[in-house]
Amino acid sequence: MKLNRWMVIAALLSAQTGYVLAEDQNDELSRLKQQLQELDQKVRILERNKELETKAAEAKSKTQPTVVLGGGGLQVTSGDTNFTLKLRGYIQADSRFFASEDIKGNDTFLLRRVRPIIEGTVWKDFEYRIMTDFATGITSGTGNNAFLQDGYVNFHHWDEMQLQVGKFKEPVGLERLQSGRNMLFIERGLPTALVPNRDVGVQLHGKLWGNTLAYQVGAFNGVEDGGSGDLEVGDDGKNIAARIFAQPFSLTDIHPLKNFGVGVAVTHGTHVGALRNYATSGQQTWFSWRTSTAPTAASPNVTADGDTDRIAPQAYYYWGPFGVFGEYVVSSHDVARRTGAAAGAVTHANFENHAWQVAGSYFLTGEENSYAPVTPKRPFGWGSGNGWGAWEIAARVGHLDVDKKAFPTFATASSAQEVREWALGLNWHMNKNVKASVNYMNTDFKGGSKARTAVTSETGQAILGRVQLAF
Amino acid sequence: MNYKKQLIVLVALVISSVIALAAQKPTILLNVSYDPTRELYVDYNAAFAKYWKGKTGQKVTIQQSHGGSGKQSRSVIDGLPADVVTLALAYDIDAIAERSKQLPVDWQKRLPNNASPYTSTIVFVVRKGNPKGIKDWDDLIKEGVKVTTPNPKTSGGARWNYLAAWAFEANRSGGDQKKAQEFVTKVFKNVPVLDTGARGSTTTFVQRGIGDVLIAWENEAYLAVKEYGADKFEIVNPSLSILAEPPVAVVDRVAKRKGNEAVAKAYLEYLYSDEGQEIAAKNFYRPRNQAIAQKYAKGFPTLKLVTIDEAFGGWAKAHKTHFADAGIFDQISRLNR
Repeated sequence: MKLNRWMVIAALLSAQTGYVLAEDQNDELSRLKQQLQELDQKVRILERNKELETKAAEAKSKTQPTVVLGGGGLQVTSGDTNFTLKLRGYIQADSRFFASEDIKGNDTFLLRRVRPIIEGTVWKDFEYRIMTDFATGITSGTGNNAFLQDGYVNFHHWDEMQLQVGKFKEPVGLERLQSGRNMLFIERGLPTALVPNRDVGVQLHGKLWGNTLAYQVGAFNGVEDGGSGDLEVGDDGKNIAARIFAQPFSLTDIHPLKNFGVGVAVTHGTHVGALRNYATSGQQTWFSWRTSTAPTAASPNVTADGDTDRIAPQAYYYWGPFGVFGEYVVSSHDVARRTGAAAGAVTHANFENHAWQVAGSYFLTGEENSYAPVTPKRPFGWGSGNGWGAWEIAARVGHLDVDKKAFPTFATASSAQEVREWALGLNWHMNKNVKASVNYMNTDFKGGSKARTAVTSETGQAILGRVQLAF
Repeated sequence: MNYKKQLIVLVALVISSVIALAAQKPTILLNVSYDPTRELYVDYNAAFAKYWKGKTGQKVTIQQSHGGSGKQSRSVIDGLPADVVTLALAYDIDAIAERSKQLPVDWQKRLPNNASPYTSTIVFVVRKGNPKGIKDWDDLIKEGVKVTTPNPKTSGGARWNYLAAWAFEANRSGGDQKKAQEFVTKVFKNVPVLDTGARGSTTTFVQRGIGDVLIAWENEAYLAVKEYGADKFEIVNPSLSILAEPPVAVVDRVAKRKGNEAVAKAYLEYLYSDEGQEIAAKNFYRPRNQAIAQKYAKGFPTLKLVTIDEAFGGWAKAHKTHFADAGIFDQISRLNR
């Protein structure tokens, strides 16, 4: 009985202890739960504050200017992207060698183009470009011929309609409109001699319907064939130039035709002043107008004097590594031949010159051929991922025919009447910025002087070489 | 060679194509607004575009930009080409008028009700069951209560929140401004995260699960409950709040430059139409039109509301005293650091 009592007391004590322990455990659990909730809030707060700091840093970075230096040159962009400044440029170091020792052309090394470029935008819609050239130019000079090539402002709010004013290329020749750094051959083909180069004026231009149709219409001072100008010195007349160029399949799924483009350009206006002579790709003059500062019957002075008209149909086609382009130019000029100071000592005439070319190329290394710059699939280099760059073979044929009426009284006796050229080229695009080229140019002349040292006396054979660095 | 005729035809063709293309371009209007009006203007823009097309035949596309009201105001001053601004407080539009001169300083006189087509107020959102027992402003200063509100330096909504809290204590203490400042200091001491805008603050409270109470625009509070469920959140109406009058204005110079003057003016005027007022009410903004306000009265409980003019002497004075650099809010921030 005594034992049972003790057993009951022990059982009661045990139950009491268990209850107290359970109560303690519940309190502990509550405390832990509360701590956990507080910790959870702290973590959430820390995470959210970090998230907000990141957002604030991102927003701040949007107001800071960005500076990018790379293959495209140096570019600085304001935080709001309203202002950009790009520093770019290209250098072309050439060699020019002739097969014949007799003709006047000297074998030479030369700097063909040394062009720093500053371009960008202000207030988002106003684009600008300034490009000078420090090279000695086409003809050899006694010093650097530093001069302004491009200097213009382009109001570009809509792609469909932009307004450009200043000095820039007149919208005429297909190959002329291609940048000097993207040319297939070291020198442009014969039709380029009949179209204007850079001129000062105003141009409305744009791209319509998803870039399937590009147009340009402009009024310019007017320049002679192949010429550039900075201001009007010979007359008050202006030239109108207009061009449309369509890529009708660019938005379709017909892949073989996507990069087919066709267009036509025309110019009309008046021009008074000197006429430009014509030269081969080796830059040897094969046609000259008669000129004289004190004209006489024996030594007349021929100048542009009246209407100037041109029409230039053109096309290109690129598909995979293959590309071809062609253009045809008809250039018509009113000219005057003066044989003295008297009012009646002048003869007027109109001449119509024609030129065409077809040029094609193929990338042996499989790059996508294009009118625009080509990027090698595997740039030249020794590291992993590098290769041999892009290798491109090229060929072209061309012809330029001077109006027969110009002979013999308007053209010099040594001038040829026609020139036919074929050329082969090899381009090594080491990377996006460096290109090496070698061209063989073969030029046949019809008419012209057959004197031993005359350019037109025999078939011209020139080997041109170039190393180009562009950024 | 006579190219003259062909040339004229070509030029005419090109110019007429360009003009035709330009004529087909739809009118694009940019409405720069504050954070919580996204949903309101999505609905309103669709209604206005339909109305405008029917009235004029012209297709109009309205682009929206949202952010903290003060931040949006600065963006417009810095060049964001807003045709219209629909901001949280008049002070932010005054700043545009004064600093950028893009609209006249008396812009509020050009539309009824001080150019505020709808009103709102400030309420609380708490978690379901109101675990911290928050009923009025003085519950926000209790220890352990975490308050979610945006930063008054960047958010118009946050300024209304701040001033409502101030007005509560000033009213309770018989206009004692010192006590009001101490009270607001304590409220902001309980704020662990300061978002830049009202929508960010809602995200902090609703999606990130931070805080016990969100001080919010009434419309934002109803939207949060609607979007995330009445089983998760409750709205608490404090004993006193403030009458918020978000104003609207045409940014004349921009609209004129873009040729959008008429459509921008009509866009704001249509906010006062029956349809505009209905859309505002459906998006939890209190309509000005009494008939429509009556129709939606159930959704908008009657509160004791003070106005900015009564309690603070207008926005210019309130800004200078409280929110300008070295103002009272800056002092509060330093104390709470």
